[in-house]
Amino acid sequence: MKKWIASAIAVWMLALSLTGCGGKEVAQATSDMEYVKGKGTLVVGITDFAPMDYKDAQGEWIGFDADLAKAFAESLGVEAEFVEIDWDNKVPELDGKTIDCVWNGMTLTDEVRSAMSCTNAYCNNAQVVIVPADQAANYQTAENCKELNFAVEAGSAGKAQADANGFSYTEVKDQATALMEVAAGTCDAAIIDSLMAAAMVGEGTGYADLTYTVALNSEEYGVGFRKGSDLTEALNTFFADALADGTMMKLAETYGVQAAVISE
Amino acid sequence: MELTTFSQQFPVVIQALNVGFVQTLKLFFVTLLGALPLGLVISFGSMSRFRGLRGVVKTIVWIVRGSPLMIQLMIIYYFPGLVLQPFLEQVLGYSVNIGWGGGESGRFTAAAVAFIFNYACYFSEIYRGGIQGVPIGQQEAGQVLGLSKSQIFFKITLLQMVKRIIPPMANEIITLVKDTSLARIIALQEIIWAGQAFMKGSQGISGQLWPLFFTAVYYLAFNGILTVLFAWLEQKLDYFKV
Repeated sequence: MKKWIASAIAVWMLALSLTGCGGKEVAQATSDMEYVKGKGTLVVGITDFAPMDYKDAQGEWIGFDADLAKAFAESLGVEAEFVEIDWDNKVPELDGKTIDCVWNGMTLTDEVRSAMSCTNAYCNNAQVVIVPADQAANYQTAENCKELNFAVEAGSAGKAQADANGFSYTEVKDQATALMEVAAGTCDAAIIDSLMAAAMVGEGTGYADLTYTVALNSEEYGVGFRKGSDLTEALNTFFADALADGTMMKLAETYGVQAAVISE
Repeated sequence: MELTTFSQQFPVVIQALNVGFVQTLKLFFVTLLGALPLGLVISFGSMSRFRGLRGVVKTIVWIVRGSPLMIQLMIIYYFPGLVLQPFLEQVLGYSVNIGWGGGESGRFTAAAVAFIFNYACYFSEIYRGGIQGVPIGQQEAGQVLGLSKSQIFFKITLLQMVKRIIPPMANEIITLVKDTSLARIIALQEIIWAGQAFMKGSQGISGQLWPLFFTAVYYLAFNGILTVLFAWLEQKLDYFKV
């Protein structure tokens, strides 16, 4: 009998240590807005993604999205806190409340819309083909690109375009890796966001030998909150106000994305 | 502002890699500090006279050693906020907060818990091998001298065990140094993460692969130090033969 009691206690203790103790109570939060205001921070899930969210020389997060997020947090009377996440894990991060929103040049796809509560689109984007600059002349149409071997980000809008156009492709971890594959010659071409392409390839960038040619589609960026969040509406209102008083355009010009901002 | 020449990039990259390596080292030492004693406790469990306890401990060791550490990291980090919290809220009827938090400290704590538990299970088996490898005559000699069980363990078995397990422990600990890079799956910004950031662009450097490759230099240097340390320790314990 005694050994059964000992075993039971051991199991119970292990269960405790597995679940992790310390469930500190918070006041009954009725809405996402109150939850965020209650803790005083809006935790923004991002990746290092120029020109939307990136670090300046002082290590401060800046960029078109980062500056807008700071302004939005200020309008709520809370502080914006930026947390780098693994992009593949954005939904569990959001639902697990380790972040409060995903605000990082996120393409509004059906998958994103079904997993999060999304704002209205605030920026236009396209999926563009990246090729070495010296071969760009040969690949100005989607038809010509069919003979190329593509690198695309797993689960990205770029991969969807590769499927739609019948390209042969290899899936890689992220858009940066896709670019790297082209630069290293392991793939002939890549498909990435036009906003990222504008900032990252061509003269004066780290990929001076690459350029972008065909735009395969047009799509839109939005911000994602937890499902059922009332912050989505608050941000829609904030976007409308920022457009009306010109602050959004001024910010866009700072980061060279004014052509992409959706202004109606 | 784009930094294009190597001499411009080098100090920025080294600065970022240093910050990342401090995280790597922090995770390494915290894991050792937790897993070394916890492993001993688990090894006692797996050698227990109580069959029930032994079975439970062996099952846990099987699960932890048999499933990928990367999955364990994701489960430990995401499970409380994603599954446990909504469940508790439904049961209790008021909101609770048991997630790890999204900031750096929450991610580090979750990673440390996963690593400590995982490595303790590996260590426990090495300890068990070391303890059971000490000749039974040593314990019998202790009994003849009238020592208690704990006296026999701490005064006779332990040191002989330590001497025996140094080579396999060195193996496991060097693996741990490199395994810490798995924590970037929950976005803990250790040195590989820091090196990878320059691939897509960070702090005015983009499209650079060399910072990622350069992280290997840090691992090599640190593991070199560990190797020397273990060789020294092994020699130090060579004064008694069994």
